[in-house]
Amino acid sequence: MKWLSTRRALALMIAPALAVYSLYFAYPIVYSLYQSFTNAQAFGSTTLVGAKNYTQMVHDTLFWGSLRNTGIILLVALVILLPGAFFLAHLLSGHVRGGGALRAMIFAPNVIAPILIGLIWVFILDPHIGLVNSLLRTLGVAHPPVWIGGTSLSPWSIGVVYTWQTVGFIMTIFYAGIRMLPHDVMEAASLDGATGWQRLRYVTVPMLQETFGITTVLVVTGVFKIFELVFQLTGGGPVHLSETLVSYTYWMTFSNQKYGYGMALAVVISLLGVVVTVAQMAFMRRRRAS
Amino acid sequence: MSSTLSTTAPRLARRDAPTQERRPRRRRLGVAAIVAYLVTFVLILPMAWVVLLSFQSNDNILRDPLNFSHLSWANYSTAMSTLNLMTMYKNTLILAIVSVSVGVVISFMAAYALTRMVFRRPGLQKSLRFYFLAGLAIPVYILLFPVYKLNIELGLYGTYAALILPYIATQLPFNVLLFTGFLTDFPGEIEEAAIIDGAGLFTLSWRVVFPLMRPVIATLLILNIIYVWNEFPFAVTLINNPAMTTISLGVSQFQGFWTVDYGAMMASATLVLLPQLALYGIFQRYVVAGMTFGAVKG
Repeated sequence: MKWLSTRRALALMIAPALAVYSLYFAYPIVYSLYQSFTNAQAFGSTTLVGAKNYTQMVHDTLFWGSLRNTGIILLVALVILLPGAFFLAHLLSGHVRGGGALRAMIFAPNVIAPILIGLIWVFILDPHIGLVNSLLRTLGVAHPPVWIGGTSLSPWSIGVVYTWQTVGFIMTIFYAGIRMLPHDVMEAASLDGATGWQRLRYVTVPMLQETFGITTVLVVTGVFKIFELVFQLTGGGPVHLSETLVSYTYWMTFSNQKYGYGMALAVVISLLGVVVTVAQMAFMRRRRAS
Repeated sequence: MSSTLSTTAPRLARRDAPTQERRPRRRRLGVAAIVAYLVTFVLILPMAWVVLLSFQSNDNILRDPLNFSHLSWANYSTAMSTLNLMTMYKNTLILAIVSVSVGVVISFMAAYALTRMVFRRPGLQKSLRFYFLAGLAIPVYILLFPVYKLNIELGLYGTYAALILPYIATQLPFNVLLFTGFLTDFPGEIEEAAIIDGAGLFTLSWRVVFPLMRPVIATLLILNIIYVWNEFPFAVTLINNPAMTTISLGVSQFQGFWTVDYGAMMASATLVLLPQLALYGIFQRYVVAGMTFGAVKG
């Protein structure tokens, strides 16, 4: 192998990937970092302004609003998505006729374009033409809630849509975890007279601790990347009330054309992403070691 | 009913459960099945609803969407004659084929050099590997604006290359990760035998090792194609020419394009949704295994 590894051969093998990656991944990050310390915008000259963009963020109510909305979506995901996915995996790990087909159907939203998922849910949640409010009106509710586009419920609704989009994915991970549990432990618990609930509470859940860790990390990273759902369901409106971190950054950069400040927001999002991913890798490593 | 997921452990036999346990367990499982069916029904309802609405007249959608007495194909002829669906499919297919095939090949080459070949300075090999994998932690949103500027600088704005290059770049870290993982454990005897038989680097990497990476390649093809097919943030930022509209970008414009013609909008959405679901149905096993790859295999 050594004599095949000439300097020229090595360069030839690595060069294409290195070039594309450096130009379209590494360089853009450096560029964003630099821009985040400038006052760059659509018109006017660009000068370095130090950390001004970052200090400005502290007083930016829209930034805190979008952080709060992202937090609400995360809350919905942690309270409904994670337990729901686990519950489904537990249900389907028993003998359910057609269980494989059910799992396939529940997983399906994960392969649909997120932008299409947003559109689908407009027709479920829209206060005027949506399915939910049509049903509620049929049931006699005169003023059904404004699920999307109002002043308060949008992030909660986006959390529900995100749950729908991801539940099959998280369920599959739990399902694989449950199926890999050693059968003899369950058997022993049954013989000792443990009820189904007790087996779930004292055997299944504790033994799936790492799976819970991984799924939690996946949900957190996923929530921080939500963009298309906001784009379709509310467009961030009204008056930025339903903006998430990513959609607010996008608006600041491309619609408001404050590039410097937009890039500072992007840097903050990326830092959050890095922190969570490092945690994820630590989890994976621990899992592999055990 | 055999297990449909290839990621899961083999089914565990329940035959030897104690007999006195059997009766209550079967009753509970019956309830479990009913709950599972109900939950699944609720979960597929949103997709079914879109398909159903696509057969409704616009008046019905606005006034009485729950009345299904007048279903027709009318929305489909409107959608087909007005919307340039074929262009959207063509563009998406071009982007997917080029970026995924080039991306997989160049990530394999890099991963091969970073794992199997001998660097004079092993430190360089290590730092290059870290450099590629560091991208895994970065969300793509920080790249959007710089890539947009870069494309303008390079004169690529408005071409397919403007999207193909960032698509390759954003998929590289994961592709390299997966290839290096498998190549590290690759048995050296096979390579030695090939070298003794007189194989050069090209024959060795491309004809001997690459074909043996089939499971990894299949996984990467599926993941990368799904990524490009559904990609939206880059598409909306980098495409300015309607003739280059991708499927995702096209769908994002449905609400503006059809404004209040909800029936035609739903027919268009169905024409995007159903082919995707059909493809998923065919490759379901591999898709699920690929997408949950890192998370279920320790």
